Amino acid sequence: MKLFLVLEDEPFIAMDLQYAFEDAGYEAVTAVGNEEAIAHIEESDIVGAILDVSLGGGVTCQATATRLAKEGIPFILHTGDLDRVGEHLREIDAPIIPKPRPAEDVVARLIDLIGQPAS
Amino acid sequence: MTSDASDDSTRLKSSNQAHRAIYAPDSPSNAFEGASGLLFEQAMAQTRMAVCLTDPNQKDDPIVFCNEAFQQLTGYRAEEIIGRNCRFLQGPDTDQAQVGKIRDAIRSEEVVVVEILNYRKDGSTFWNTLHLGPIYDEMGTLKYFFGSQWDVTDIHQSRADERHAKAMAREVSHRLKNVFAVIGGIVNITGRSMDAKNVARKINERVQALGRSYEPTLDEAVLGTIHVGQAIRAVLAPYDPENDRFVFTGNGIRTEPNAISAIGLTLHELATNATKYGALSHPGGTIEVSWAHVKDKFSRNSLEIEWIERGGPAIECPPESNGTGFDIARTLLGHSRGVLETEWEHDGLKARILIPITNG
Repeated sequence: MKLFLVLEDEPFIAMDLQYAFEDAGYEAVTAVGNEEAIAHIEESDIVGAILDVSLGGGVTCQATATRLAKEGIPFILHTGDLDRVGEHLREIDAPIIPKPRPAEDVVARLIDLIGQPAS
Repeated sequence: MTSDASDDSTRLKSSNQAHRAIYAPDSPSNAFEGASGLLFEQAMAQTRMAVCLTDPNQKDDPIVFCNEAFQQLTGYRAEEIIGRNCRFLQGPDTDQAQVGKIRDAIRSEEVVVVEILNYRKDGSTFWNTLHLGPIYDEMGTLKYFFGSQWDVTDIHQSRADERHAKAMAREVSHRLKNVFAVIGGIVNITGRSMDAKNVARKINERVQALGRSYEPTLDEAVLGTIHVGQAIRAVLAPYDPENDRFVFTGNGIRTEPNAISAIGLTLHELATNATKYGALSHPGGTIEVSWAHVKDKFSRNSLEIEWIERGGPAIECPPESNGTGFDIARTLLGHSRGVLETEWEHDGLKARILIPITNG
């Protein structure tokens, strides 16, 4: 079964996205910070990811995004602050979905991106 | 005028003006000669604009004249000023790039205006708009540099305040978008646990349409009004992922944010209907959305939004029920004394939202 990664510091949003992956017939692991997210990438066979941009305390998802890009794993940036994306993640080439957006739309977009039909 | 000190002090008493600033022992004695010279001195003493003259023909271009306003601005007395190069007003936070511009202007004998951070005698700082230029005698020889100083600290402060307000508005906007996203999560998770996923989805769609209609307001919270076109585009964006279904026509009119929640939800219901049954359910179907300020039948300033669908499935007869979505929209608009009119034409739905606004 395909495994996805959700990097999100807000538990309700993380949970909502995780459920949306399950509804679509997939599984997802969640992470609240870059270290955890990178550990998931190293330990599991992640096929795609949804990254919250601002992780609190001025930390962004930059480290995870860089790692995913290096591994060639597709991902989507999910953020409420488009300006800050521009400031911090200009060099990262990934689709951006502005918050708020229904979780299933976000998930559908990622599944579309990795070229798998949503089941 | 003479540079004789006793003569100077006598005149100071008689005119009650601050002439002591003219003391410039090394300057040519005929610098401010005759009646026009006297008027010049009077004007210089009285103007609120801080003025100084420097003598580029002396070593290190010293100040040879400064007026009362210059002393007031800098906190130094004339005797502490005359004979020194202007750079004594600079300090650690003075931008050296601006200083460089002054230096270049002096070297090339050009007029220049720079904004520079200067320091008073007591160490406090002020933003100085310095206007600097050469003064020549009748032979075309460079005699002085003229410098006028204007304290623009207030302007700098208001610019900083504006930047701060914008940064705050952006932060609030970011947080509110996150709040809307969290609400979405709570609604979905609750709906799932109570076996009401579809209800949860419907609630969420409405909550999020509301969130999107406030997006432009939040980003421009300083203005207190909302850009109607931006709000309409933000609400409808998710229904048009390829960005080729909606045709928007309108100008940059603004309205107060209160009206926008009813408008946002109404547009959401129209778009949902179009996605299920109308122009958005059919490849190539389009919707024209236009907005303008009009008077309603009670001559109230109103916002009118027209919605014209084309290229969807042909409509044979109006639907039996407009559905609860339109009912909710009508009720909401009604609270703001607004209306939603729908005409189910063969080509597609034509709808009109009319809502009074206060600052039309």
